[in-house]
Amino acid sequence: MVNIEELVESLARDAAPVKPAPHPFMLSLRWVAGAVVYLVASLWISGLRPDLMQKLDEPWFVAELASLVLIFIATSLSAAVLVFPDLHQMRKAAWAPVGLFAIFVIVLFFSWRADVPPAPLPMHSFECTVSITLFALLPAAWTFFSMRQFASTHSRWAGSVALLFAFSVGALWLLLHELNNSIIHVIQWHYLPMLGIGLVGWWLGRRFLKW
Amino acid sequence: MTDKSENFEALMKLSLSGDKRAYAVLLQETARFLRPFLARRINSSSEVDDLLQEILISIHKARHTYDGERPYKPWAYAIAKFRLQDHLRAHYADHLHHAVGLSEVENDLQAPVTKSDITYESISGEIEKLPPKQAAILQMMHQEGYTAKEVADKIGMKESAVKVAAHRAYKILRKILER
Repeated sequence: MVNIEELVESLARDAAPVKPAPHPFMLSLRWVAGAVVYLVASLWISGLRPDLMQKLDEPWFVAELASLVLIFIATSLSAAVLVFPDLHQMRKAAWAPVGLFAIFVIVLFFSWRADVPPAPLPMHSFECTVSITLFALLPAAWTFFSMRQFASTHSRWAGSVALLFAFSVGALWLLLHELNNSIIHVIQWHYLPMLGIGLVGWWLGRRFLKW
Repeated sequence: MTDKSENFEALMKLSLSGDKRAYAVLLQETARFLRPFLARRINSSSEVDDLLQEILISIHKARHTYDGERPYKPWAYAIAKFRLQDHLRAHYADHLHHAVGLSEVENDLQAPVTKSDITYESISGEIEKLPPKQAAILQMMHQEGYTAKEVADKIGMKESAVKVAAHRAYKILRKILER
């Protein structure tokens, strides 16, 4: 290899003006805005659940919806922070989804306790997970493509959070679209698969976000 | 270091606007503060040099992720640590790849390790060049006549570890003697 002085000289010769990357808040806002457009368009096509207005009167449904929206926002912010080598010196923002997932688990626990007598289980099962996953493919690909333009030093973590962000878009879509009141079903087939998605993202991050 | 060169954030802002001279100073100063950081973690100076060059290239590739508004050093160190981890991972993976598996030496372990066609005295000069622990084990086994078990008891190692260390020492010696 050449010596350090030669390398510095050669790199300095390439120092053309460079546009700095946007702030993580802006980056996150772009991803959120894109995902919201995708979600609204999909709900426009697939339709809202017919009892949505009635469900919005139920506090635990609203709490589930609100915590899922917060996860959606927190994962996008975390992913945006994780694409910077130094996490934009906002390490706490990178960890934001952890607290929100904890809140989400508590909300689901109380929803389950409040579900007396339990709502009947729907006839289908894994189809929900498949639907959410398929719905999440486009936002996942888009987010990964966007993240590759930066320089993550936490590629596994970033990949995991990016897929959780995409999956939360899918979970929101199904929550607003599917006529289903069973908390057990929702936990089992809508939200537990998130753990698997996180692991897949961990693996994909290593492969696709390495630079 | 001059005041100018210490102001990494200002230098980076100038660099991002295309100032080649500022960029050269920034990279030189970055190399200067990263070298001791790497030298504390890697023994070989040539490896430090190679890794430092890799880090400078990475800084060059990732410079758009730094806006000059937040402290520069944590950003540069984050990239340096990332590349260092990669380097160490590859280094240890390579070592593991070349390591002798216990199953590989099992046949040798069955053989009496205290018997050899070559006398200790005839190769004592070569033995002294071995790592100190291996040299001590060979000395005890071949000059002083201890068994592997006795050596293990004496130096507080497991018998199998003594045999593996002896085997490795034989391999090194064989290579030297075959030259």
